Amino acid sequence: MRTSVMTHLAWVPEAWLERAREALSGMDERHPSRTVILVPEPHAGDGRLDASVSLVSFQVPDADRRMVSEVIELRLVGPRAQAPASVVEPLLISDLPVFLRWRGEPPWGAAELEQLVQVADRLIVDSTEWEDDLTHAYERLSELFERAAVSDIAWARTSRWRSLLAGLWPEIASVSNVRVHGTLPQTLLIGGWLRSRLERDDIRVEHVPADRLEGIDLDGSPAPFPPGDLPLPSDVLSDELDRFARDPVYEAAVRAT
Amino acid sequence: MIFGASGDLTHKKLMPALYALMLRRLLPVRFAIVGVARTAGDDDSWRAEMQQAVRDHARDEFRQDVWDELAGSMRYVSTDFADDGGEDRLEEMIARCEKEKDLGGNRVYYLAVPPAAFPTIVEALGKRTDQQGWTRLIVEKPFGHDLDSARELTALLRAHFDESEIFRIDHYLGKETVQNMLALRFANGIFEPIWNRQFVDHVQITVAESIGIEGRAGYYESAGAIRDIFQNHLLQLLALTAMEPPIDFTSESVRNEKVKVLRALHTPGPKSVVRGQYGRGFVEGEEVSAYREEKGVAADSTTETYVAAKLYVDNWRWADTPFYVRMGKRLARRETTIAIQFKRAPHPPFEEAAGDGLRPNVLLVHVQPDEGVSLAIGAKVPGQGMQIRTVHMDFLYGGAFRTGMPEAYERLVLDVMLGEATLFTRADEIEEQWLLVDAMVSAWQRDRPGFPNYAAGSWGPPSADDLLHRDGRSWRRH
Repeated sequence: MRTSVMTHLAWVPEAWLERAREALSGMDERHPSRTVILVPEPHAGDGRLDASVSLVSFQVPDADRRMVSEVIELRLVGPRAQAPASVVEPLLISDLPVFLRWRGEPPWGAAELEQLVQVADRLIVDSTEWEDDLTHAYERLSELFERAAVSDIAWARTSRWRSLLAGLWPEIASVSNVRVHGTLPQTLLIGGWLRSRLERDDIRVEHVPADRLEGIDLDGSPAPFPPGDLPLPSDVLSDELDRFARDPVYEAAVRAT
Repeated sequence: MIFGASGDLTHKKLMPALYALMLRRLLPVRFAIVGVARTAGDDDSWRAEMQQAVRDHARDEFRQDVWDELAGSMRYVSTDFADDGGEDRLEEMIARCEKEKDLGGNRVYYLAVPPAAFPTIVEALGKRTDQQGWTRLIVEKPFGHDLDSARELTALLRAHFDESEIFRIDHYLGKETVQNMLALRFANGIFEPIWNRQFVDHVQITVAESIGIEGRAGYYESAGAIRDIFQNHLLQLLALTAMEPPIDFTSESVRNEKVKVLRALHTPGPKSVVRGQYGRGFVEGEEVSAYREEKGVAADSTTETYVAAKLYVDNWRWADTPFYVRMGKRLARRETTIAIQFKRAPHPPFEEAAGDGLRPNVLLVHVQPDEGVSLAIGAKVPGQGMQIRTVHMDFLYGGAFRTGMPEAYERLVLDVMLGEATLFTRADEIEEQWLLVDAMVSAWQRDRPGFPNYAAGSWGPPSADDLLHRDGRSWRRH
C-alpha cells in the first residue's frame, strides 16, 4: 500500500546529509510521507538538477502488510539553488500539509528561506545546530511566526524538564537564579519559558555547557531528574510532525530569551 | 481525411491516436487514411514522417507489424485548394481508395488546420457531398474569436453540413476523468443529494499550466487565456460539474443540460474578474523570461496569460454558490482540478484545539495529472484525547484499473466513427460561451492593466487571492 499523510521537505546542506538520512529512518512508520530532500550546491558550477527517487517499503507493525513511501533527493546545483520553491511545487501532494525541516541555521531573509516558508505549513528547525549569535537568531526566527507555524527540536528536547519544573508550582514562582547544565539553546529557551510563563523579566539564567540537558539548579539547589528515557532523534522529529497549529508557549519563550 | 496532415496536431495527437486504435483493433476492418497538406510530398515521405511521429508520441510500444498494417492504408495528397486541380486530385485519390478497399463511402473529414483555411476546405468538401454513406466533419478550436465570428463559422459549416454531421472537438471532454465526473455524479446515489447550494460552500476549478506559450505567440497574442482556456475547456468543466441529471446519456440530452448551465451563468462584474500576465520568474529552478520577452510578443502586450473569476450559476440548484475559476500559463505546477468544497459541520462538539489541522470536506477531482478522486474527511488521531485531523480517501485511476488511460483523441476519433456526439460541443453551447466571454472582454477595453502582475512559477497575481479573501475564502494551495 502506498500512502502519505504529508509532504515532508528537508533543506539539507551537504554537511548535514548523513544525519538527515538517519533521522528519516524509523520516522516513515509513524508518518508515511513523500519526503523531498533538497541539497543545495549553489557554488558547484552550471545550473543542474540531479535527482534520485527511491521507494521505502516497511512492515506495518502488528499487521500483515507493507507500506511504501517515497523519498526524492534533489541536488540543486549552481543557479538552480536560488529558486527552490519552484522546484518543489510540482512535487507537493495535493491538499496535504507541507512540513519543512531546515538543517543548520536558516539564512535569515534569504530568498530560498522566504520562498520555502511560503510553501510550507510548518517550519521545523533545531537551534542546537546554529552557531552564531543566538539572541539575534531567535529574534529573526520570531519574525517568521506570523507566516508559518514554527517548531524547534531544541525546545522539544526540553519537554521532560519543563513538565518537571511545572510540577514544582507554586514554589517555582519565586525562583530568581536558574542554572542549566545543557546546550546554550536549551538554557536560553528554558529561561525564556520561565520568564514568559511566570510573567517576570528578573529571572537570571546561567549556562553550564553540556552536550545535552543534564540538570537544572534552582537558586543553587538541583531539581530532581525527570523520569523516563531520552527520546530518539526520529521520535522527536516525529512528535513535531504531529503538530499542526502554532505553539504560543514556544513563541512566547523565544521572544523572552 | 486529415487536412493539415503535416501539422503539429497530426504529429503529436492524431497519428498516435490512430496507431493506438489500430493496435487495439478498434479501427474498422476496411478503411483508408488520406493525409492532405500544402507541404510537398508523397505517400512514402508522409508515412516515414508519421512513423517517426508515432515512435515519438504514442503511449504504446512501437510494433512494426501494426504500423505496417496502418501505413498500408495511408495515402497523401499535396494541395492548398487554391485551384480546382487540387480538389480533383483529392477526389481521384478518394475514389481510388474506395474502390481498392471496397469502402462503403462513409467519410470522416478532420480539419486540423488554422481557422483561416476553413472556408476554402469546407466549401470544397461541400461541393462534393454526393457520395453514398455518411459524412462527418471534425473541427478543431478555435471556434471563432467572438460571438460574431463564431456565428459566421457556424453559418459556413451549416451551409454544407448538417449540425448532426459536425463534431467540434474539445479534447478536455475526451479525458477519462472529465467523463468520470458524470459517472461520479449520476452513477452514485450519495453525491447528488448534497450536490447543491444547501451543502456546497463553493466550487474551485483550476486549469494551471507550468509551460509558457511554447512559440505560439501569433495565436496567443490575439487569443489570451480567456479564449485559449476559459471559453472552451474551463466552461465545459464547469458545465459538467453544475449540470442537472440528463434523462439519458444520448448526445442531445447531455448537451441540452450543459447548455442550460451556460445560459444560467451570470456575467461577472469587473470586480469579479482578475486578469494577469506573467513576468520573469522561476520554473523548476530555472529562470524563465516574461511574457513580453517571448519571441513574437509585443513589448507592451496587454494579452492576459491568467484569468480568475467568480461565477454564479443562476438557477435553483446553485443560487448564491460561487464557482471560483482560475487558469493560466507559467503557474507553479501543471494541474487541472475541480474541488467541491462542502459547508462546515454545523456544530462540532469538540474543543476548538481538537480541530487544529482540520479543513472542511472537499471532494477533489484530479483531471490531470495523478488522475483520480479524493475526498477529504476529518478523522480522530489514534491515541489519548480527541485530536482530529484531515485525511483523504483516494481513488487513483492507476491503482483501481489495470488498463491504461486512453488518450483523449483516441476516444474522440473513435466516437466520431461511431457517430457518438455526446463529448462534442454543439453550436448553441459555443454561442453561449462566447456571449459570456464577449461581455467579460468588453469590460477590459476600458482600462489598461498594470502588466506584468505575477511572477512566472507563482500561483498568479495577488488580486486573485483578494478575490477570494473578500469572501472569507482562499484558493486551494497545492
